[in-house]
Formats: sequence, structure tokens, C-alpha cells
Amino acid sequence: MLPTGCSRRLVAELQNALDSCAERQRQLERSLRVARRLLQAWEPKETPAPEPTPRPETNEEDQFSACTPSPQDLQELELLTQALEKAARVRKGISKAGGDKAPSLKSASIAASPPSRISAPAQASRRAGSHASQTKPPKGIRQTRVPAKNLPEQRLLSVADATYKRRGAQAVKPEPGLRDQQMVPSAAAQAPEAFMLKDKGLWAQLSSAQTSDSADAAATAKAQFLQKMQTASGWPSAAEVGRLQKACSLLRLRMEEELMADPEDWAQEHRCLLTLQGLQAMVGQCLHRLRELHPAAGEQLLRPWPEGRLPRASSPCGGGADPVWSPQLLLYSSPQELQTLAALRLRVAMLDQQIHLEKVLLAELLPAVSKPEVLGPRWPALCRAVHSLLCEGGKHFLTILREDAPAD
Amino acid sequence: MGRRRRCRVGPDDATRALPEAIAALSRTLPAGPSPETFRRAKFDSPEAAPALWRLLFRVLSPGPPDGASASLSLEAQARSVKSALRSQGYPSQALAQLPDNGSQGSRQLLLALAWLLARGPLLEQLLAQSRVRLGDEMPVCECEALASPGPPAPGMGEAGHVDIRHLQWLMGKLRFRWRNLMASQQEQCALLGQIHLYTRGCHSDRSLGHLSVTETELLRDPEGGRQLLRRLESENARLEAALEWRRREQDTVLGASQPTFLPRSPEPGARELEPVARELQALWEQLQEAVEARRAAWEARHPQLQVGDRGPAWSAARRALDEVVGRDLAALQRAWEPGGGLTQPHGPRRLVRTEARAPGGPGLRASEVIEALRTQEAHLEVVLRQLQGHCRQELARLARALPGLIWIPPPGR
Repeated sequence: MLPTGCSRRLVAELQNALDSCAERQRQLERSLRVARRLLQAWEPKETPAPEPTPRPETNEEDQFSACTPSPQDLQELELLTQALEKAARVRKGISKAGGDKAPSLKSASIAASPPSRISAPAQASRRAGSHASQTKPPKGIRQTRVPAKNLPEQRLLSVADATYKRRGAQAVKPEPGLRDQQMVPSAAAQAPEAFMLKDKGLWAQLSSAQTSDSADAAATAKAQFLQKMQTASGWPSAAEVGRLQKACSLLRLRMEEELMADPEDWAQEHRCLLTLQGLQAMVGQCLHRLRELHPAAGEQLLRPWPEGRLPRASSPCGGGADPVWSPQLLLYSSPQELQTLAALRLRVAMLDQQIHLEKVLLAELLPAVSKPEVLGPRWPALCRAVHSLLCEGGKHFLTILREDAPAD
Repeated sequence: MGRRRRCRVGPDDATRALPEAIAALSRTLPAGPSPETFRRAKFDSPEAAPALWRLLFRVLSPGPPDGASASLSLEAQARSVKSALRSQGYPSQALAQLPDNGSQGSRQLLLALAWLLARGPLLEQLLAQSRVRLGDEMPVCECEALASPGPPAPGMGEAGHVDIRHLQWLMGKLRFRWRNLMASQQEQCALLGQIHLYTRGCHSDRSLGHLSVTETELLRDPEGGRQLLRRLESENARLEAALEWRRREQDTVLGASQPTFLPRSPEPGARELEPVARELQALWEQLQEAVEARRAAWEARHPQLQVGDRGPAWSAARRALDEVVGRDLAALQRAWEPGGGLTQPHGPRRLVRTEARAPGGPGLRASEVIEALRTQEAHLEVVLRQLQGHCRQELARLARALPGLIWIPPPGR
């Protein structure tokens, strides 16, 4: 048994760790649900999750039937293609002539109805959801550039796709994305895009309004205000001193960690160097703040206080203090790459947590086993448990044998 | 840019401009109190106090407001505000002395708000925090997750001794949860990859190229689309109000005469600063030495990778390292200064699946981040191993002190 205070703290820490893990899991589950639902519409035969519409027969069929379409299918396809081409031509003709809402509405509905009629039987086995969205009258639509250009072809491919899928052709897999673009006109796609663009304008204005502040009268007024507050309330507050002390000790700890580490490759070496430089800059900032708080104390330091250089000077990614207005991009080229990235990120988070827990456990448990005489016969068991927790991450255990005098 | 400036603020201008400025401020703040509340607060009216406590709570609590934090009582919120202001370095003690029930101190709260606004881009940060996100975002750094350990669990209920086996069980549970998390994360990445692949060519913004989950949902579900539109509209309204506020900022006389009302707090005095100052100075010198030594070693070992060398592979990897180190240090700084910190572009980034190989394009490449993360992982593993090694040594020392026991390490050691 562990002493009360120690127990409480350790349990609290571990519980904290568990809770933060659970929170992440919850968030992930939420986005997983959405993503799974979206993909079900594209690949219903792959999902084992229960579906409202009965499709098991179709699934079997799809899986067991031939991979190549029969001649009958090809013929059907040909007819379909022709019908769609005609519809597309009609629509193109109308939208070229007009270009404003009314004709495009009409044309969209013309285009929408033949495919929906034709594809309705083909997709009778599909989810009710996607079905509904196809036949919904498109309202308030202004054709966007992308769908308008691609739609005729998409429609062709999409219905062809539907037929293929019904026969279970595997070759059609790469196309489902295009197929689903027929849903594009059935929602007000244009309006949000328009707002996105408008929104960007405002964010840009805001950030430029803010950065130009530095040369402004407002900035000086603000600085004066802050100064007044600082002097009116008396400095340096005990909190400030405490913070600086804490900063000092944390920085020192971190420095020692870095100095202890033995870099194995150039990247680690460079990282170490950058970290040390960054630490130095931060110490410089603290000294600067100190000097601001108490110019007299600053004078007693014989050296001029240091101009630390922030290690971020070379970064191209903004580097400003402002919250960035446009979402920055992270480009990846394959799901495997994304998975690696996500896995590494989680691993780093987990290691961070483990290190923190290790330090806490160390601080509490080592003293608990340091007095074998107090614990008596229970000491080896406790020691074994502590060893496993602290040195093996709780995964492995050592064995302790009592060396008794041999019985003669 | 078309900023309207008032270079000479006459009294008439001021009286006209101030209410408008306040109105703009109240439109842009989240759950903003009405301009009337601000006016009352200036006269230290007690009715305005609860609204301002709530506002400060909303402004100071990290992350988006969720059900849990919103349902905290006014007292709990007031306490949280006080501690948050303290940790941000708010200089006035008077606020800390206000009663917790949130019934007083509206003028002090107004002052605190003015201080927060003066200190940094508060409004922009709030707006950025709550902005409508259309893309699939993935945070590249972990500082958000680590910074706030969450409110301390109230009353563990585990009063008393705890068997170490309970701790072992908790650790095992934690390991299991992490494994689950990893598996779910892998699944999510696979699904995202697929969705991005399937919606190739759908996005009107060519640089993105494909839709995100939110956008795909938007297209599937017109009702959701309308909701999103509404959210974007309200965000725009807030942005416009924030712009308005920025334009009129110098007209506000929020803090001009306020500080004189603050009572003087006892000064710890300059004496307390000296030891800290000395320590910091010593630390700085040590770091200076270490940096110079490492830099010299680096230059000796890698003469080809000089600072001037800007080969593409080198600079991309170096950029990524810079970012990782920067975030690392910012997280460190958060330990004693949650408010400030090294200014880094943090936060989640929108995922974009692309085959483009163009270097130096917009956005960070996953490969660079992976490299940087691997370095960080290696470093953390070293730290963990060292800690474990230290424990092993300590326990071995204890074991040696007691004869009569044979210690057999676990297999593989």
C-alpha cells in the first residue's frame, strides 16, 4: 500500500492521462462516423455496418458475378450514353445562351431528370439518402465553373458507373468520385464558395489592419496604457517574480536535458543546436523583462543583457504573432504517408505523456521504496512492482528470489 | 486600405465615436455584452458585473467553449478568470480581491478587458479560434493538447491508500487506450485519403483540388449547407465588427484614466529580483558556451551544410526542424506563461492530397513534417530511456543494500 498523499497524486495524474486519451478518442470517433457515412454511399458493398436499405442480395451478386460486363450491358450502356449526351447538349446550349439563374435552373432540372430516371432503377439498391438528393429539385443554383464543365462527362461516366457497379465490375473503382458529382447541383454549392471568398477578404483586412497598428497612434496609446497599469499596481508583483523563477528552473532543466542527449545523426544534432539557441533566446527575453521591471536590478548585472536570436527567423510559414487567417496547408501524397504522419504525431504525444508520467512516478515512488526496513517483508513485492512501472513502462517484470540458507 | 482616421479627436468626435466603437466591440466579442453593459461597467454598476465575468471567462478559457465549461457556475467562472489573469501576469491585485460570487467589480473587469485588448491581438485570436473550418484539419504539433491538462478532477473519491496494483492497472488501461487511439487514427487517415481521392476535381479552388469531409457533407445535405452558410454569415458579421473596432480603437478612452483607481499593492521589492537575475544571467552564459561549442562542432563535422547553403533538400528539412523546435519551446514557455509564448504559426492545418512535387509551394509537405517528427520521437525516446535508466540504477542501489535477494531482470535486458 502506498501512502495517502502519494496515492492521491498518482491516481490523479494517471486519471488525467486517461481522460485526455479518452477525449481524443471521442473526437476521432466523431469524425470517423462522418467519414464512414460519406464513404458508404460510394462503396456500399464494402461496409459491414448495418444499412437501412436491404442490400445483402445485391452485394452477393456483385461479388460473385463476372468482372467484365456482358454484351447486353454494353448495349445498354451505349443507349444510356447517347441519351445523356443529348441531354448534355441541350443543357449546354441553354446555359450558353442564358447564363443566369432561370435557364440554368431549367437546364439543370432537364439534365437532372433523365439521369435520375435512368439511374433510378440502376440505383434502386442504393441508399435512400443519395436517391433523395438526386431527385430533389435544384433550387437557387448558379452553375459553378467546375461542375458545369465536367458534368456532362460526369453524368455519362456516372451512370455508366452505376451499371457497371450493378454487374460488379471492379475496374470502375477509380471513378466513383466523379459519379457522385451529380449531387453537386442539388445543393447550394455556389453560395458557400462565394462566402468563402468573401470571408477571406475580411480576414486579410483584419490582419493587415492589425499589423499596420505598430506605426499607429493606437499602438502608442496602448503601450502607455499598459505602462500605466503596470506602474499603478506596483511592480514586480510576487506572481511575476515567481514566474521568472519558474522559467529559470524550467529552462535550466531543459538545457541539461539537451546537454545530456547524445545526437545520433545530423538532424538530431541540428535540432539540439536549434533548441539550445532557442533556450538562450528565451533566457534573454526573461532578462529583458527583468530589466523592464526593475531597471536598477539590470544595472547591477555587469554584462549587457543579451540579444537573443529567435530560432525561427528562417521559417517561411508566416512567423507572425497573428493568428493566421487562411488555413495553412499540409500536403500529402498518399494515405500511407498521412498514416505515417498521424502515427508519428500520436507517438510523440504518447512519449511526451510517458515522460511526464515517468517523472511524476519517479518523484513519488522512489521515496516510497527507499526504506526497506519500514516496509519489511512486503518490500520486495513493492520494489518489483515499482521497478516494472518505472523501468519497464509496466510491461515487464523482474523476478526476485530469496536466497535462503541451503537446508542441510 | 481606406482606413478612416481621426487625427484630432475633438470632444464631439469622442462622444460620437466612443459609443460606436463600443458597439463594434460588443458585436465582435463572443457572446458579447451589450453596449449598455459596458456603459454601466464604467460606472462600476453591479448589474454589469456578471456579464463581464462571463465574458472574461469565455475569452480566457482555452479552446472552443463546450458544454462543460459553459455550465460552470458564475463563481467557478469567476475563480477561473482570476487565476487565468494571474497567470497571464495581470498586474492589478484589486481584481483578485473581488468576491467570487461575481456580483461586483464591473469597472475592474472592464479594466482587465482593456488590458487584454491592449496586450495582444485578442479579438483576432478569438475569431481565429472559433472560425468556421471547412477543411479537414490535422494539427502538426501537440502543444494544444498538452498545454491544458483540463480542470482538475474534483474530489477523487479515492481518499486513502491505494494498492500499487491499482496503479499498474491504470497504466495498462492507458496503454490500451493509446493502442485504440492509434488504430482509430489509422482508419481515419485511410478514410480521409479515400474521400480526398474520390472528390478530386470538385473544388472550385484549384490549389486545393478536392473536397474535405465537411465540404462533401455540405454537398450531400442541403440543410447542413444552409446552416454552414448561416455560420459563415455570422462570422463575417463579427469580422466586420472587429474591423470597425480596429478602425476606431484610438477613439476609445477605456483605460485613459482608469489606472488611477487601482489601489497600490505591496511591493515585494527589488531585492527579490536579484537572485533570479543572477541565475538567469548564469544560465545565459552557460547556454552561450554550449551553443558556441555545438555550433563549432557542427561546422567542423558538416562543412558542406553551412548556413549559406540553401540546397532544396536541406532547407526543406531545416524548415521542418525549425518548426518542431519552435513549437517545442513554445510549449515549454507555456509552462510558466500560458498567455505569451514564442510567436509561431500553430494550429491545425488543412489536409490536401496532391501529387504535386513542387518545392517551395504553399503549405508544408507531409514528408518534411514526418522527418521532423521522427527526430523528435528519437529525442523523446532517448529522454525516456535515460529516465528509466536512472530509475534502474536507483533501484539497483537499493537492492544491493539488501543482501539475501537475487534480482533477475526481465528477459531481454
